[in-house]
Amino acid sequence: MNQFLGPLDSSGRVPPLQQTRVSSFLVSIHGALARQLALALPGQFKAGWQTELNTQLHRETEIVSLLLRATSWAPDVMAFYNTLIWEMAWLPNPVSGVTDGRLAATIDIAALGHAAHGAIRPAALLPVEASADDPFVVALRRIEFESSRLIQTQIHFLKSDDLKPARDAVSAAVNDRHRQVRKLWAEMLDSIGIKHRADDE
Amino acid sequence: MPFLSYGSHRIRYELNGATDAPAYVLVNGLTQYSELWAAYRDALIGKGFRVATFDLLGQGASAKPELFISQEDQVEALRLLIDELGDGPIFLSGISFGALIALRYAILHSNRLSGLVPMSAFAELSPQLLLLGNALRTGLILGGISYLQDLLLPMNLSDSWLRPLLGNLDAVKRQGWLINDVYAVQNLMESFLDFQPLTPQLASIKTPTMILNGEFDFLTPRSLHETLRTHIADSSLVIIPNSYHAFTLEKAALTADLLARFAEDVLAKRWQGKQSVWIAPDDAGGEMTPFPAGFDHLRAIPVPRAAS
Repeated sequence: MNQFLGPLDSSGRVPPLQQTRVSSFLVSIHGALARQLALALPGQFKAGWQTELNTQLHRETEIVSLLLRATSWAPDVMAFYNTLIWEMAWLPNPVSGVTDGRLAATIDIAALGHAAHGAIRPAALLPVEASADDPFVVALRRIEFESSRLIQTQIHFLKSDDLKPARDAVSAAVNDRHRQVRKLWAEMLDSIGIKHRADDE
Repeated sequence: MPFLSYGSHRIRYELNGATDAPAYVLVNGLTQYSELWAAYRDALIGKGFRVATFDLLGQGASAKPELFISQEDQVEALRLLIDELGDGPIFLSGISFGALIALRYAILHSNRLSGLVPMSAFAELSPQLLLLGNALRTGLILGGISYLQDLLLPMNLSDSWLRPLLGNLDAVKRQGWLINDVYAVQNLMESFLDFQPLTPQLASIKTPTMILNGEFDFLTPRSLHETLRTHIADSSLVIIPNSYHAFTLEKAALTADLLARFAEDVLAKRWQGKQSVWIAPDDAGGEMTPFPAGFDHLRAIPVPRAAS
């Protein structure tokens, strides 16, 4: 088991099957977030921070578009099975303990977004020798770089005073989504010979 | 890799050295991880100490709570670790954020400690420190861990340390970048959002205390250490020459030697704090020099101390 993607080819590129698995996972989770945000976004914003949701919707779409074009795709016999498992996992799961159904659903989307942008460190998979000119390498770095900004919408919402009465339920929901995302991410990495970080064990 | 359990969280820790030896517990700074104390572990074990290191909540291989990490939780995690060490003498030291956690522990459990060494420390947020902290948090949000490191490296380390590494800074930053997560470091920073100064509680620290401050530390300058010196009765302030906020990285041999000498003096009952001010030697094993009488140690130029 390795900590990083590879072995790289002579040009510093990641093997196509590894690219395919990593990108399939990221396309799945960011695509799910884009779809859920598109449905959840209110027609009229009522708070300033909600403008960030609009940004996030389009950034999630951008990530999917970027990966589709930057990945060297390879045939993957696990593609259908993996996608089914992942897509089932991202299905909305409104937070229990919050009576307002719309709010409970929004908390779940935010929890999934927090996990997608917090628990997944795609650039941290790249070995030092990875080519800085390879589109897949640049895409992973860009996704991780953008995540530090995109996660702020989730942090702002999930830590807001509005949710203080439901803080335990919110924390539990975020923790559950993190566990779920970390587990599936680690399993996917394990399938391509990558050992995930010790803190995620 | 052993772990302590704190509620549903795991705290990664490491104990090295003879189990019956007096123990040093070392607390990480904000973006640090326990491996960075390796030189201290080796030096202190060589001087007959047991050494405990760990990753705070939100750091390294310890749990990284997703939304909230309180400083009280960090103190509780530290208490669990110290409880693992038995009834022998305990010396507690921490750097920067870790110094604050060590101070909080000492306020609550002064009797459990034989000695305390806050390094690059603060008990309150001065306007400069508050604004610097806010700017660092914004830098983390906008540029991620790497940009935060870009800000911290030149702020906290000297030219002489940085110069030979200028062509290889990515390698210097890489392990810290790999091990730190944005949301977790942000949670650590946001544990200051409801911060109340510890200054009124410092007098409850009765344990011998050696306060270490880098000569050129502008993140936590001398005035913040002076608060500790003047409020902790059995304290002394030691200025580390030609060093900045992160002197524990830059001058590990000297700092480990100072830690060992402090503990040896306390255990031999030679220690006399007296709220005195000292200048550390340039190298490990050198002589400590009293700050020149009559001059103001809070100034960067030789100004006579104002009559009190």
